[in-house]
Amino acid sequence: MSMSFSLLKLHPRMLMATLGVISAAVVLSFSIGTSKSAAEIEWLDVVGEGGIVLLTVVWQFFLLISRPPGRVTTLLTIGLCCFMFSTLLDALDEFIHYPQHALLPLFESVPAPFGMILMTWGLYLWHQELLTLNAQLRRREGDIREHAHVDLVTRLYRADYMREQIAQHLSQPAGQFCVAVVDIDHFDAFNRRYGHPEGDRLLREMAELILMNVRMKDLVCRYAGDRFILMMPDLSLKKASQQVQQIANAVRHLAFKTANQAVFHTLTTAVVEAKQQENCEAMLSRLNQLLEQQKDVSQESPRATLCYAGR
Amino acid sequence: MRPYVTRDDKFIHASGLPACLVDLAAQRQVNQHKLLRGTGVFREDLLQPDCHLSLSQLIRLLSQFQRLMPGHDAAFQLGHRLFPDQSAEASAVAYSRNLSQALRLLSRFRLQLAPLLSAYRYRHQGFSYLLLSDAVGLEQHQYQFVAELYCCLLVSASRHLLGQRLPLYFEFPFPRPRHIQEYEEHLGLKLSFNRPALCIRFQEAWLSHPLPRASALRQQLALRQVTATDMQHTLIDAVSACLRQQQHSGLQDVARSLGMSPATMKRRLKEHQVSFSQLQDRVNMQQALYLLTVKGLNNETVAQKLAFNDIPNFRRACKRWTGLTPSQLRALSPG
Repeated sequence: MSMSFSLLKLHPRMLMATLGVISAAVVLSFSIGTSKSAAEIEWLDVVGEGGIVLLTVVWQFFLLISRPPGRVTTLLTIGLCCFMFSTLLDALDEFIHYPQHALLPLFESVPAPFGMILMTWGLYLWHQELLTLNAQLRRREGDIREHAHVDLVTRLYRADYMREQIAQHLSQPAGQFCVAVVDIDHFDAFNRRYGHPEGDRLLREMAELILMNVRMKDLVCRYAGDRFILMMPDLSLKKASQQVQQIANAVRHLAFKTANQAVFHTLTTAVVEAKQQENCEAMLSRLNQLLEQQKDVSQESPRATLCYAGR
Repeated sequence: MRPYVTRDDKFIHASGLPACLVDLAAQRQVNQHKLLRGTGVFREDLLQPDCHLSLSQLIRLLSQFQRLMPGHDAAFQLGHRLFPDQSAEASAVAYSRNLSQALRLLSRFRLQLAPLLSAYRYRHQGFSYLLLSDAVGLEQHQYQFVAELYCCLLVSASRHLLGQRLPLYFEFPFPRPRHIQEYEEHLGLKLSFNRPALCIRFQEAWLSHPLPRASALRQQLALRQVTATDMQHTLIDAVSACLRQQQHSGLQDVARSLGMSPATMKRRLKEHQVSFSQLQDRVNMQQALYLLTVKGLNNETVAQKLAFNDIPNFRRACKRWTGLTPSQLRALSPG
């Protein structure tokens, strides 16, 4: 995935502050000192100290393109600015002779530790922020975070992630759990009629609806296409089937609005319980076979391809 | 006029696969410049009603699409969106009275509707077999992507035409992929992997099943709008067809019947990343597969039909084509 710079324009003040700090350091050192001749310059030091300055600027850049404005962002930016001010003065004195000046050591050494304290405080707040965000992600995420596995359409994790989670659960000795798949009926017809962008939106909203109908400790991922997969730990097959039925009921009552009409959907579902000595692929294959049987049953009872309600 | 197209003839409607692909990539936030880079196609070109692409442009575009699209389902998503497109050829297929007619028209307009794979159909004991092979010289990983695309296209198009799922059995010439969930979701569970050739099988009875969208008049209208072209073949198809008609013809004979010198044909085949003897092998393998697995003939008869002097030679050739001996191949026969 490539980088996105859209957050950068939300930070005019932070960008100004960064530029201000850089120019202040340059102006300050050239106003006090006089340039060294080329022979006096220690190039190894220039590379080392200049490199630190450059990397600090890169960190700052990544910070600003990654985070929306807020207290954590401000603290981290100002902290990095202070740190950069010190390292920049440090790098510039490779090029400049300073006269004995009482205030200069103060400029060089005080901002860095001050900035580190601000960053530390910022990181602590960041930790708290992540705890809040983790709570928001419950039911979408197990105990590992791997952003490369997130599906772009539904913002749920993809099948690979669920496979790892199932394999991990199967490897633990004690642990009853059930896995279910739910598949939207006639999704193909919906796409043809209302267009694929609307189909994507339906998948997104369906994901939200499924999330709302599961427990906090359950995990929901997108399996493939219009098929979602759920893992329900510490639940008997009977209870899990009830929960999946509740999801199916919720979906049946969802009046999805598109093109000024409400379109109703039904799900085909299948639930299996984890068996002893079974691997993940075998369990998934059992689950998909069951779903296929259910699909055949629902195809045999012909009914309207899509259900509409007038505007 | 040449009876086949080369990789650089511009004959593919931009409004079909190329436009569909660019739109899907845009929906998935793929950078348009990176997608089109080096293809010689620009976004503005795609808006011209008479814009056409060559096979090499299409292949390049497809390979960049494959690389840039997130997730494992790019080929399948594309497959669901392709049929029917705006073209007269696709409309003619869409208004067919049954699948048999639809398949006949598909084969007639194959270069427009499905230029990358060629299909060879045979029937046996109530089943139709579509044997698909690379028609343009694709890299292995791209061949798998194209196979996913066309298989999904077939599932999606047949469901659209029939109004219900057509039970299809798929055999793939590559190992079971890690993203098997996409195959199961989009193609169904009747899948087998590590097979000698890409083959799709379904019951003959479906061919005569009436299609709810059939319309003879609209179909005739669409057929009138088809811009006439005699070419139905890529070079690989043309050579394979010659080999199939006259089983034992050599390089010289085939080149002569296609109206070029043997050296030119060698060079042109090389542009398609394939050699004459590879094509000979492929055609022979398809014949052998059919005779062994479908018809269930014994080694002697098959070796004789394929003009092998003795059985050990035939066995060795089989092993070289497919990695399996004739008896192992026969054991693969579809149940």
